[in-house]
Amino acid sequence: MPVFKTSFNGYSVKFSPFYENQLAVATAQNFGILGNGRLHVLQLGPVITERAAFDTAEGVYDLCWSESHDSLIVAAVADGSLKIYDLSLPPASNPIRSLHEHARECHGVDFNTVRKDSFLSASWDDTVKLWTVDRPASVKTFKEHAYCVYSAAWNPRHADVFASASGDCTTRIWDVREPGSTMILPAHEFEILACDWNKYDDCIIATASVDKSIKVWDVRNYRVPVAVLNGHGYAVRKVKFSPHRGSVIASCSYDMTMCLWDYMVEDALIGR
Amino acid sequence: MEKAVERQRVLLQHLRPSFTSSSLEDIECSISASICSAGDSASYHRSSVFGDDVVIVAAYRTAQCKSKRGGFKDTYPDDLLAPVLRALIEKTNVNPSEVGDIVVGTVLAPGAQRASECRMAAFYAGFPETVPVRTVNRQCSSGLQAVADVAAAIRAGFYDIGIGAGLESMTINPMAWEGSVNPRVKTMAQAQDCLLPMGITSENVAHRFGVTRQEQDQAAVESHRKAAAATASGKFKDEIIPVKTKIVDPKTGDEKEVTISVDDGIRPNALLADLGKLKPVFKKDGSTTAGNSSQVSDGAGAVLLMKRSVAMQKGLPILGVFRSFAAVGVDPAIMGVGPAVAIPAAVKSAGLELGDIDLFEINEAFASQYVYCRKKLELDPEKINVNGGAMAIGHPLGATGARCVATLLHEMKRRGRDCRFGVVSMCIGTGMGAAAVFERGDSCDDLCNARKAETQNFLSKDAR
Repeated sequence: MPVFKTSFNGYSVKFSPFYENQLAVATAQNFGILGNGRLHVLQLGPVITERAAFDTAEGVYDLCWSESHDSLIVAAVADGSLKIYDLSLPPASNPIRSLHEHARECHGVDFNTVRKDSFLSASWDDTVKLWTVDRPASVKTFKEHAYCVYSAAWNPRHADVFASASGDCTTRIWDVREPGSTMILPAHEFEILACDWNKYDDCIIATASVDKSIKVWDVRNYRVPVAVLNGHGYAVRKVKFSPHRGSVIASCSYDMTMCLWDYMVEDALIGR
Repeated sequence: MEKAVERQRVLLQHLRPSFTSSSLEDIECSISASICSAGDSASYHRSSVFGDDVVIVAAYRTAQCKSKRGGFKDTYPDDLLAPVLRALIEKTNVNPSEVGDIVVGTVLAPGAQRASECRMAAFYAGFPETVPVRTVNRQCSSGLQAVADVAAAIRAGFYDIGIGAGLESMTINPMAWEGSVNPRVKTMAQAQDCLLPMGITSENVAHRFGVTRQEQDQAAVESHRKAAAATASGKFKDEIIPVKTKIVDPKTGDEKEVTISVDDGIRPNALLADLGKLKPVFKKDGSTTAGNSSQVSDGAGAVLLMKRSVAMQKGLPILGVFRSFAAVGVDPAIMGVGPAVAIPAAVKSAGLELGDIDLFEINEAFASQYVYCRKKLELDPEKINVNGGAMAIGHPLGATGARCVATLLHEMKRRGRDCRFGVVSMCIGTGMGAAAVFERGDSCDDLCNARKAETQNFLSKDAR
């Protein structure tokens, strides 16, 4: 199996939405606590080759590929900035944009998959911001959370709807046309570190929490979760729905494992 | 620092249910600035992924043979150089037309003739006419200077791939002065000292710095012992390219086809007592003998350098990284002290301290100067010339630098993790010294052999 070892600790990894063999990796020195960061773009094959690497002054916590241009990547950096890299340009002219509005660490970015023109950033300054690639300043700021926002995720079907996961123990659903959140989901007793929408049912959302569990919710009836997935030994850091099967979820945790779940069946843990 | 403490606090919150609140408080303040274990040298945060680093992907040499009597006594100089140049290409599969320049360090031969011979050697080695060739002469460090010149040209952006080499046939070109000496030399002591035979400068070093005959002979015995051990255990097989040539029997005149792949000057059974019987050559009551001087030899070496990004693109393993080079001048009358000045200069410009260096190749022109430099710099004898030096292996002037680079890098590769930085250095006739610092190719990320810096209380430069 080909292996590529990054020199810093990995924080996030995403496939390109355009090329099946292209991968971007966000890394940070010293587990993101102190030091530099680097964004790698890798080409998969019999051996993994590095197409490009971009250095940053502080750790890179997350990244997302542009859905409209095959060469654009947005990186969330620990100094609070968002950096946009264009792979088609030489290293000297990158990043093509450095957006510095967040007062604290940027922890998550997500590109709109429906309208493909905008992206969200979630930051430890308790806000989520909406951006477009062509504008130098944010379009809108969503400030309601009372503690760090760790991730924001666009709804896969509605171009204006997204969810945010925060350390204030709530997940909020937003419509960018509305001034405030449209729904507050007190999903866990402890901090929520990630959320993701079901790709086949636009009302189903999964949340991952410090309480070691993943909960699946139906936003039409959010009093009780659809499913509670227990099995991780420490906080669950990230959660993602499968793009191929509606009920399959992948998660990774501070317990050093990643788990595969099927929330529809009784023995939900299908792989570790 | 506050930022890092705050970040650590946020991340530790994620582990909260498994901690009781009291133990969490202990942990919250557990991060503090500490002495960086890697010291604060610039090389610390120059990590492996700097694509503009100049790296060495291959370094080979011929065997080194006694001049006039050894294996290469009937070999033309171009036939010495061509096999090592060809080996660089064959072993790495680099397209020869991509090589931007071939620089050959060579000392004794007439300049233009040797330049032509080198150009011809490049053709014999299979290089196309488009690849240029030049020579460089910095006396005994010419081979190292050639490598440094190529590294500098790559860094300057003149080309991405280059070869630094060295060549000397002391059979064909013995050390000699042609023509008359300008009488003006009498008016200036330093200029006059440039004419001193090298052996006299060795006597000067021994006399001025009190290096005894006993110490010198001991160093020679050690050199032979280590070189013999290295040969016996096959260590030189990695770096020596066998050369097919002929030997003419001096009595019968018969020609014989041979393949030379072993250094023939090494005496495994050299004894202190035997060396002690040799008469001083240069001064009646002196201490420099044929036994404790470098051998007069024939040989060649070559080093393939390129930008790290190019090496990665081609998927070539990186043998070493060229970190720094320094050439300095010293008093011509004691030219042997050159390494004692050049090594600290090169190490400093690499952003390192002498203690960071794990391996040295210091040319043993004479035992006197070698012992002096070792003592002056207070180096650990276990780290110097671990596979013997010029007293055993030989000193074909122009080739020595390239030979040392090959020997050093292959030894560093064998030693692995515990050997990160190495130095090649030599003294230079007419009073100079040169030194270069190399880093082992794949050692950049793991700071395994980092020493503790005791004096400085900061984190390293890359941490804010």
